[in-house]
Amino acid sequence: MDYSRILVAIALAVLVAWYISYGAARLDRLHTRVEGALSVLDAQLVRRAEATLELANCGALDAASALLLAGAASDSLEADTADQSSREAIESDLTQALELALGPEALRRLRADEGVGAPVLQRVGAANQRVQLARRFLNDAVTDVRRVRRKPGVRLLRLAGHAELPQTFEIDDELPMLERGT
Amino acid sequence: MRIGIVSPYSFDVPGGVQLHVRDLAEHLISQGHYVSVLAPADDDTPLPVYVVGSGRAVPVRYNGSVARLSFGPLTAARVGRWVEAGRFDVVHLHEPVTPSVSVLALWAVEGPIVATFHTSNLRSRAMQAAYPLLRPSLEKISARIAVSEDARRTVTTHLGGDAVVIPNGVFVERFASAVHRRDWEGTPARPTIAFLGRMEEPRKGMPVLSAALPQILREIPGVRVLIAGPGDPDSIREKMTPRAAAACEFLGSVSDADKASLLASVDLYVAPNTGGESFGIILIEAMSARATVLASDLPAFARVLHGGNAGEMFRNEDPVDLARAVVSLLLDPPRREELAAAGRERANAFDWSVVAEDVMAVYETVVFGAASVRSSGETDSRWARLLRAGRNNGGA
Repeated sequence: MDYSRILVAIALAVLVAWYISYGAARLDRLHTRVEGALSVLDAQLVRRAEATLELANCGALDAASALLLAGAASDSLEADTADQSSREAIESDLTQALELALGPEALRRLRADEGVGAPVLQRVGAANQRVQLARRFLNDAVTDVRRVRRKPGVRLLRLAGHAELPQTFEIDDELPMLERGT
Repeated sequence: MRIGIVSPYSFDVPGGVQLHVRDLAEHLISQGHYVSVLAPADDDTPLPVYVVGSGRAVPVRYNGSVARLSFGPLTAARVGRWVEAGRFDVVHLHEPVTPSVSVLALWAVEGPIVATFHTSNLRSRAMQAAYPLLRPSLEKISARIAVSEDARRTVTTHLGGDAVVIPNGVFVERFASAVHRRDWEGTPARPTIAFLGRMEEPRKGMPVLSAALPQILREIPGVRVLIAGPGDPDSIREKMTPRAAAACEFLGSVSDADKASLLASVDLYVAPNTGGESFGIILIEAMSARATVLASDLPAFARVLHGGNAGEMFRNEDPVDLARAVVSLLLDPPRREELAAAGRERANAFDWSVVAEDVMAVYETVVFGAASVRSSGETDSRWARLLRAGRNNGGA
């Protein structure tokens, strides 16, 4: 009689232990995914800023546009990566600076300059596309983590430990004039 | 880059997903990448060198079509071995919620995973029933691609989050350079119409075309309908009026080259599909071959046809409207020429060179700074243990 009770208790304990270890492993994997996606986004934002700086200095733009771009790009390169909301503002500013500097006339001139302008412009477009991708993948990962961390079991057992609740990264990264087919 | 691609459907039978996988793999190989494709296949099936068979493929009704899938513990073990042997930088799964190798690979892989969703009608009941089981493994996917806006909407509704839309690719040049065949070209008195696809599947639209034929033949008695694709002609003929059946010529399954020639030669290509299409790659192939396209006004088709600029559309499942459109196009060669030219131009946007660049950007983004793919020891060893146990019992 007692024997079977002990067996049931052991089975329950094993089940609980499995749930905890499985839940912790799942969360851990999700957090790793978020961290990875965040470092990718960070790297892509740096690349975009560098490409913008190159564009500013390529000589095919007017001085005012060049100055605007150089300013926005160096703000981005010097941004404090720990402070997400100020970084979001800085990166949106960079997108806007690109949008302003790359009017139809500037685009026409850059594309006509096959030696310097066109390749630099192409690099900026590619860098921006990768920022868009990296940001979307990060936000997907963040959404997944937040959903799992809302589960009552996960909250009750504090399976997330001391890991910070990740935030989605919200910036304006649309540069329609650099997309293909335009 | 070392890329592992997983196709859930067998290569024995042609289909949109398999073609996508094959073309993507071949394009990436031509760009100098190492690519290995894992797909269901019987052990004796001849396969391209870059394809690894995952074991016996069983025909299963899934998502309205009969698909050849592969599953079970033996397949799972093979998937694990493929992942380990491949030392991939990224694994690219197609249709990860199909009961086949893709979902097995999803279980077996740790590391950068990209998943492409092709279908616009995920079977929500199966999905919901298996949700608790699938959810944690779906969380392993680092980047989701949808082949169309419809497929993307399905992903957002059923799985949450978002997906990047990268359309299907076509080797435009292969179709553009197709040889015309005299016997498939129309004359003013005997114009030709082509239908392609598995004719016995109602959603491919053969019943709609059959119902439209009598009216078309009343206006243009000489019309020839060339039907290419697998299926039993008699089962189609018996549902037609005798006169309509006499106007049809059944070509059976055709080679890729013949398909391109057929599309290039005929006066009009008709796609009367009634639904279940999330993309419609055949329309792009037809446009590449400079065919005049007439398609049902499914949202996916409308997008490919640029809202009707690159091909004409008729009301879905409406034989009367189909007949009207066929007749007016066959009687108007300048209009056909105009649509064919616009279609050829439109097709360029879907060329593999353009599309694969976007896929590569996704790979680079997920691979950046990440460790390469490894097999998740957990699931692998669990299956391996089971198998060992089974073998030992069998041997004793």
